[in-house]
Amino acid sequence: MNAPKSDLLQGTLDLLILKTLALGKSHGWGISQRIQQISEDVLQVQQGSLYPALHRLEKSGLIAAEWGASDNNRRARFYELTAAGHQALTAETESWHRLSGAVGRVLEAV
Amino acid sequence: MASQSRTFDAPKGRADLERDLDDELRFHLEMEAAQLATRGHSPDEAATLAKRRFGSVEAVKEDCREERSGYGFELFGRDLRFGLRTLARRPSFTIAAVLTLALGIGANAAVFSVVRGVLLRPLPYGAGDRLVALRQADPVAAVADAGFAAQELYDLRQGTKTLDGLVEYHHMWFNLLGRGEPMRVRTGVVSHEYFAVLGVAPLLGRSFLPQDEAHGAPPVLVLSHGFWKTAFGGDPQVVGEVFQMNDRPHTVIGVLPPLPPYPDANDVFMPTSACPFRSAQAMEESRTMRGLSLLGRLAPDSSIVTAQAELAELGRGMAEEHPEAYDQGRAMEMHLDPMREVLTSEARPSLVLLFGTVVLVLVLACANVASLTLARLQARERELALRRVLGAGKGRLWRQLATESTLLALAGGVVGLLLAVPVVELLSRWASGITPRADEIRLDGQVLLFTLAVALATGLALGALAVLRSSGVDPGQSLKAGARQTLSGGRLDLRRALVIGQLAVSAVLLTGAGLMVRTLVNLYRVDPGFETTNVVKARLDLNWSRYRNAPQIATFWSSLLDEVKDLPGVTMVAVASRVPLGEPLASARLELRGEAPPAGTAPRIGLRLVSPNYFETLGMGFVEGATFSPADDAEAPRKAILSRSLAARHWPASSPLGKELTLDGGDTWWRVAGVVDDVKQDGLAAEISEELYLALAQSPPLSGNLLVRIEDGAQLSAQTLRGAVARLDPEQPIVDVGTLEELRRNAVAAPRLISTLLALFAGLALAITTTGLAGLLAFQVSQRVPEIGVRVALGATPGLVRNLILRQGLALVALGLGAGVLGALLLGRSLSTLLYGVEPGDPWTLAAVMIVLFATAGFACWLPARRAAHVDPMAALRSD
Repeated sequence: MNAPKSDLLQGTLDLLILKTLALGKSHGWGISQRIQQISEDVLQVQQGSLYPALHRLEKSGLIAAEWGASDNNRRARFYELTAAGHQALTAETESWHRLSGAVGRVLEAV
Repeated sequence: MASQSRTFDAPKGRADLERDLDDELRFHLEMEAAQLATRGHSPDEAATLAKRRFGSVEAVKEDCREERSGYGFELFGRDLRFGLRTLARRPSFTIAAVLTLALGIGANAAVFSVVRGVLLRPLPYGAGDRLVALRQADPVAAVADAGFAAQELYDLRQGTKTLDGLVEYHHMWFNLLGRGEPMRVRTGVVSHEYFAVLGVAPLLGRSFLPQDEAHGAPPVLVLSHGFWKTAFGGDPQVVGEVFQMNDRPHTVIGVLPPLPPYPDANDVFMPTSACPFRSAQAMEESRTMRGLSLLGRLAPDSSIVTAQAELAELGRGMAEEHPEAYDQGRAMEMHLDPMREVLTSEARPSLVLLFGTVVLVLVLACANVASLTLARLQARERELALRRVLGAGKGRLWRQLATESTLLALAGGVVGLLLAVPVVELLSRWASGITPRADEIRLDGQVLLFTLAVALATGLALGALAVLRSSGVDPGQSLKAGARQTLSGGRLDLRRALVIGQLAVSAVLLTGAGLMVRTLVNLYRVDPGFETTNVVKARLDLNWSRYRNAPQIATFWSSLLDEVKDLPGVTMVAVASRVPLGEPLASARLELRGEAPPAGTAPRIGLRLVSPNYFETLGMGFVEGATFSPADDAEAPRKAILSRSLAARHWPASSPLGKELTLDGGDTWWRVAGVVDDVKQDGLAAEISEELYLALAQSPPLSGNLLVRIEDGAQLSAQTLRGAVARLDPEQPIVDVGTLEELRRNAVAAPRLISTLLALFAGLALAITTTGLAGLLAFQVSQRVPEIGVRVALGATPGLVRNLILRQGLALVALGLGAGVLGALLLGRSLSTLLYGVEPGDPWTLAAVMIVLFATAGFACWLPARRAAHVDPMAALRSD
């Protein structure tokens, strides 16, 4: 049974993935761990959404995948940002800042 | 900056991709489990916990697959194969659904073929929608189409700037000699640029040139396509052949492509110079001999509106300059009708009605299939729930169900098209009576496209309906072991609503059919005013060059009467210039001696030239006076006979016998010799017209109809008649041999076909609806078997149980009937143009419809109700 969609909107999840990968190549598990760590456990990525998102980003050409060996020598699929991915990340980050800034101002004004 | 996804893996097959996905997710799970193990769980615990946290692996895999390929061919292929397998597993459902849809889609395809051929297809003329038909109406004589005279044509042609082509047309009957028996050919006499203006290029040879219309030019002919095929077998060598017509050699110069029989079904065409009447000097110079029809082509920068205004102006100019040529000097009213209107306006109301009807039938058919599908869905609840659990998203299910219903609809479309072929044949034969475009009706590419579109739309709609209904069910519930098929309230309500809708639509269709049938019966019952039994008719058009003057013509007719009178079985013979129920009215303007000419518009009078025995042959009675006598010949004073209504108008109080009247403004006077009963001249539904009868011997016509009364049981063949005519003139053809009875039957051919079709469709609708109703009730009974068992065990009699179910069904019927009657009353108004003798809201018809519907639907409810009454309570309770 499909679990209800994650708390993170699809677009936001994509953004987080891109950012995480900007910090370096990683596999799916690593990405979810990193996001959890950096956000100090506030953001927990639903596994059900992560992998479809990764495949979607790969299809759009923003990230690229290859098989490799993990730290404990297991076969894992590693993802990294492409040039297009870097561009998208910059653009999306800007938008995000603009949006959250605006929301913040509205909240403070009350 | 490459935007391609740089996959370092080589392109892989489906199995490999699956394995990759598997590996990737397994890695994640192992890492998760490892992490949990470090936090103190046992390896087994950790693995289970990891799995639970992850959620449905299958669902995630499914989502990933979708993200990768979208709806690629792979998924479509899978849906297709699965759909076919599902349908094959339940043949009874599949066959029932396909047949029902086939009926609905097929009916639509058939009617659409007709609509496309007659209303939608572009005109078969190159100039198409720029063509207009001109008409001038005489306001004084109240004639709607007075025709044009040659000089009027020339004036208009010279003066117009809005029309870049103006051509004339009229038709005559000529005898064509030189190919075995003499053939009577309907000849279109036209301007040389007629076909050029229409935008028609000849199939063989050439069309007319300006020099062909020059005075004294050698006569030439162009053959129509149909005539070329039937009379010459499509012989390509026919161009250049010479035939005798009107005692002159005519050369065939070309053959036309197939065209609608407008303005008439002509066999050949000739330029005006070849027609002896038209090219006579008197006709050429006349402003008052009006017999021409005019067709025009709008110039590129003008519209109907501007052309209309310009022609009105030109018309006024002509009346001012030549007032003597117009009644009271008043200009004629000019009218411009677009060619498309002229060719289709008669057929349009019937076609629109038919199309509306078949659309309703399709909706009914869809409702039935929808109901069947919903019933099937219930049976498939477990299967669908399982698939949901295994990871199929809602979108996936929708695609699956939509594929199934689209497959059904496409199969229905194919079968429907096959069923439509004979129906199209039937419909086009009917259509030829109400429009010249009937030859353009066929199952062509556009019809196929339309059918495909309808089938796809139907399939998708059914699929959407199925999914809407199935998504409300909680899969967990359905999967519980032993769960009975739940009576999902929403689904049942929808089915009930569908059946009520079907009943309403059936009621509407039945009412329409009932009204048309009553119209037909009324038309049959109309008394035309004359006897149609045992009267044979035939038509002769005399060769003008052989019978040049009145005495010669009169002699021929009287010899013919003598000849035919002596044939075996004949009791009485007459000749008349027109046959009742046949051709349109010729008109005359009547003036009485001693009275001023009538002011304002005078009513149209029918003019008929008849032999003395005419009235008795047709069984018409005299109110006063008597018929013409043999003494009323060319030298005797002229006599006239009036119809009852004509006499009543001009002499309401006194007898008209002996009074005098004139038709040509005083040049000739006729004396009234008798008053005869009225007849219906213009078709059964038209009003009675006022008729004036003149003696044939005193005004002999070149074209006449022979009317022969024969004894009961006697036969008079065309052969015998032809022989009689041949004895007088071997080169005189005789045509249209038939009976008045046939003529009368043809007069109702159009309403007869519509009534038949509507009745057929209404019957179909009723059949579809009652099966739907019976099915629904049977289903409800099967759901309530345990409940019924309990009731019976507690003492309910079979009668009580039956009535319980019956009441349920009849409630639906009552609702459906109510809605249907309302709908019928609302829509009935659109039928009023086609009805005769009955109002759209006719209470008797509505009552009859309600009774029929109640009876059939009631019977449909009765059967399942009876079955319910025989439920064995023990078996019912045990089957839980």
